[in-house]
Amino acid sequence: MFTFGIDIGSTSSKVAILKDGTELVAHYVVPLGTGTIGPKEAREYVFKETGLTQEDMVYTVVTGYGRMNCEYADEQISELSCHAKGIHYLMPEIRTIVDIGGQDAKALKISDKGQLLAFQMNDKCAAGTGRFLDVMAKVLNVDINELGPLSEKSQHPVSISNTCTVFAESEVISQLSSNVPIEDIAAGIHNSVAKRVAGMALRLGRPEAMAMSGGVALNIGVVHAMEREMGCPVHVHPLCQSAGAIGAAVFAWEKYCKKEGKNV
Amino acid sequence: MSETVNTTAAPAAEQAAPAPKPKRPKAKSLLMIGEQTNALFESARLAKERGEKVGWSASIFPQEIAETLGIVVLYPENHTAGVAARHQADPFLQECEGPLGYSNDLCAYAKLNLAYTAVLNGESDVELPDGGKMVKPDFLLLTNNICNQLTKWYENLARQLNIPVFFIDTCYNPMDYVTETRVRYVRAQIDQLIKDLCAFTGKTWDEERFKEVMRVSQLNSYLWERANNLMDHKPAPIGGFELFNYMSAMVCNRGKDSTTAIMRQLNAEMEQHIKEGTSTFPVEEEYRVSWDGIACWPYLSHNLRTLKKYGVNMVASSYGKAWAIKYDDLDGMARAYCFASTNGDNATTMMGRRMEALKRMDCEGTIYHVNRSCKVMDCQMMEVQRQLSAMAGVPFTSFDGDQADYRNYSEAQFETRIQGLVEVMKQNKEAKKNG
Amino acid sequence: MADLQQSIARLQAACDNPRAQLDYYLSQGKKVVGCFAPWAPEELVHASGMIPMGMWGGHTELKMAKSYLPAFACSIMQANMEFGLQGVYKGMSAVIIPAICDTLRCMTQNWRFGIKSIPAIAIVYPQNRSNPASVDYLISEYETVLTQLYTITGQMMNEDALHETIEIYNEHNKVMREFAAVANDHLDVITPQVRHTVFKSAFFFEKSEHTAIVKDLIEGLKARPAYNWTGKKVVLTGIMCEPVQVLDILAENNVAVVGDDLVQESQQFRADTPEKGGGGLKRLALQWNERYGCSLIHELGKPRGGQLAKQCEETGADGVIICMVKFCDPEEYDQPWLEKDLRNAGHPCVSIEIDQQNASFEQIRTRVQTFCESL
Repeated sequence: MFTFGIDIGSTSSKVAILKDGTELVAHYVVPLGTGTIGPKEAREYVFKETGLTQEDMVYTVVTGYGRMNCEYADEQISELSCHAKGIHYLMPEIRTIVDIGGQDAKALKISDKGQLLAFQMNDKCAAGTGRFLDVMAKVLNVDINELGPLSEKSQHPVSISNTCTVFAESEVISQLSSNVPIEDIAAGIHNSVAKRVAGMALRLGRPEAMAMSGGVALNIGVVHAMEREMGCPVHVHPLCQSAGAIGAAVFAWEKYCKKEGKNV
Repeated sequence: MSETVNTTAAPAAEQAAPAPKPKRPKAKSLLMIGEQTNALFESARLAKERGEKVGWSASIFPQEIAETLGIVVLYPENHTAGVAARHQADPFLQECEGPLGYSNDLCAYAKLNLAYTAVLNGESDVELPDGGKMVKPDFLLLTNNICNQLTKWYENLARQLNIPVFFIDTCYNPMDYVTETRVRYVRAQIDQLIKDLCAFTGKTWDEERFKEVMRVSQLNSYLWERANNLMDHKPAPIGGFELFNYMSAMVCNRGKDSTTAIMRQLNAEMEQHIKEGTSTFPVEEEYRVSWDGIACWPYLSHNLRTLKKYGVNMVASSYGKAWAIKYDDLDGMARAYCFASTNGDNATTMMGRRMEALKRMDCEGTIYHVNRSCKVMDCQMMEVQRQLSAMAGVPFTSFDGDQADYRNYSEAQFETRIQGLVEVMKQNKEAKKNG
Repeated sequence: MADLQQSIARLQAACDNPRAQLDYYLSQGKKVVGCFAPWAPEELVHASGMIPMGMWGGHTELKMAKSYLPAFACSIMQANMEFGLQGVYKGMSAVIIPAICDTLRCMTQNWRFGIKSIPAIAIVYPQNRSNPASVDYLISEYETVLTQLYTITGQMMNEDALHETIEIYNEHNKVMREFAAVANDHLDVITPQVRHTVFKSAFFFEKSEHTAIVKDLIEGLKARPAYNWTGKKVVLTGIMCEPVQVLDILAENNVAVVGDDLVQESQQFRADTPEKGGGGLKRLALQWNERYGCSLIHELGKPRGGQLAKQCEETGADGVIICMVKFCDPEEYDQPWLEKDLRNAGHPCVSIEIDQQNASFEQIRTRVQTFCESL
């Protein structure tokens, strides 16, 4: 039996199909979010690939920013809960997750069953999110994907102290014009993001290990900086971007079983 | 001789702020400040060893009380200013906003101190750069004349450490004077507090000792004001920022003879400069300005460098008269402490104090530090500055900074704003010259 | 049923358009005195034959206020200042401003110079309530307020009038507490938004008028069968829970408010003025000592968490929603202790940001939904 999870984010759409609540048969990401053709494209793709249809799905859960307007979903669940569930599916040993997206950052504390126990969010301020990195990458005139590897070359990271993105930008420019090596600046930028996010995450306590997800998790510089700030290893699962959709599919299975009176 | 003095003062990093790299030997008065600060922390350590109770106090609490009773009291505001000035704030800020769960919005002195306290209390393991010399307090002395955040901060400390707070509610003054009703209320609190503090610490109140402490405190206030007033000479005998360094004497040791010695020394040094037509201000004094707000401790060097570039000397601040407290009994003391903090005054009084300084020091402009940590100042200063500027006829500029949170500052902004102010002051100067 | 809905509609109209209420009283020949959040001696205004009206900010575009307040002043003060400067309060004879937090201290001066057409009367409540001298001090603050009210409006009070006012206010408190209790049996009608309306509207009516309406409302509720609420139940704490969209999000998630500790709501009605103990002013001053659990009133021990835990147990609430008014520093000091004590007592809680100028509620929606999912 198949369940369907779809995560309609602000800048991307992710889908996942689960078989019997355990086997991930398909997943897909489209870099277009709510209000675009992204959700439709993602959905059509996985159905085409698996040869399945909406009718084959015994339960569908939608999550993400665009979860409120999904006619084919049976239920909508918040992305925090779905994310927790999804990461738990991918990394069952993990109890702390930090997700740094384009617009916000979240820290999740989960139980051994993937249930969300507590969370912290930064959803107002650009500092400590992907947006901060986008702004800085532009100033440094490098591709956002290059930032990570670039920072790894740093010998003497500089300190970018200002938490205001606008002021921090001016700090970076000042460093550049002082001919500070670009890799040191990149490292400083990553440290700044990590500090801000770690501060928020540490409100949930100090974990033994943690997972990172979200677009920024692909930036090795930020991941390493987070390891230093959190004082523990940080794991990034290759499918972490789809965690929300996967979690939604897992929830779909749980809801379906409950409905049917089955045991999960 | 100076070698010995230097050595004992070596951990002089303890005191308020590092002055810019001295091209000349440090002034004796500054060395004395370093010694005094060390002595205070040492006395706290020794008191603890003797099993005596040591307290933490708000900066404008009537220090006469602890001084008269012979109790050692340390000052978190002053301590955290030092931490910030020495660029040691970061781990505490991270701890406070992280595991301790506090909002970024709070006063940075409180943020630093709450984290430091968590370490003293075994709840956090941030390394203490000073080794914990800000010893764990057995009680707290609180007034709210400076601001209301102090009350909340100390409520939290009291709960965290499970210790008593001895509180004097020094009410805000919407009138231009301290009402008798306030004096009576504050006096009643002082009387009760002295009783309670004696009971708690086992000390006794000695009226003769109090008289002596009052005498010394007022002498020190007089000498401090005198020193600040010497800045009215042209050129000013010292770089005005240096005066911030002496605040620890006035905040933490106001009733002590050691402060009298320091203040006398400071006055003497300044008189000497006046006599010789010299100054510690490193370049020619082109412009004289007043500085509104506390120092931006994490960025003193940058502030100074920028001001020096244009020959701008800070010759006046709102702190010159901050301890101009004259009284000769407990009633007088009650009134004085209601009035002591500029933040407890209405806007008219605030402006009056500042006008006096602007006029006396013949300032050509004002730099206003929009201190992110200080809502009690920032939330009324726009109006105050507008009126002051109109009354005094001098331009002003403001910049975003923070007394202790180094993340709230932009070097580029400061430089631009100062340059802007200098341009206006320059125009004004030339217009004046050309009639 | 018609009475019930009529009552609710009347209260809702007052909340939607307080200006109309102000105009109504003015047209009746009454004088109106604005009372700044969070605490003001309304009774003094009432006993002087005038109508006190609460000023709790609101949704507006901040333009003129920016010349007085930096971005990090709380939205209630920003909005009050903006409204004041824009003339929204025109017709009020005076405003009373309590200097009870740092921003409010400054507001006494900002208003004084910024809005000269409506004189500001400052009151400084005592914070050291453990000292008996605080009572006499507060009495003298009250007298200063009365003198200024008289000088500005020509209206004076007398002892009988004050006595009567105190009775009216105590009666009102009692009725509001009864409403809170009865409401929990009728959560189908008393949605989070309606509940808020009943409480908030108290700021826009002469108190005995409001009492009468709420009494009708209670009767209307009692006439209905008790409703078995199967959704989640929460207690709200903080300064206030606004704007209305936040309350709608609660309803969306099938959450009912079964109790509150909000300064804007239940805190206003849970401390009665003692019926004995001296003249009116003295008893009013004693009432100040009865107030508890307010982040703006000095108390030792950080008791709010414990008080809320008790409230959860009493109301059967599943958790607490901590409504954090953005930039409210007294609340920010309380927050970590609140959360810690509640968690230790086994009560789930979540903090949401309250900002009257907020235009987008997606984040709050996510947080509330997630919180409910985890209950």
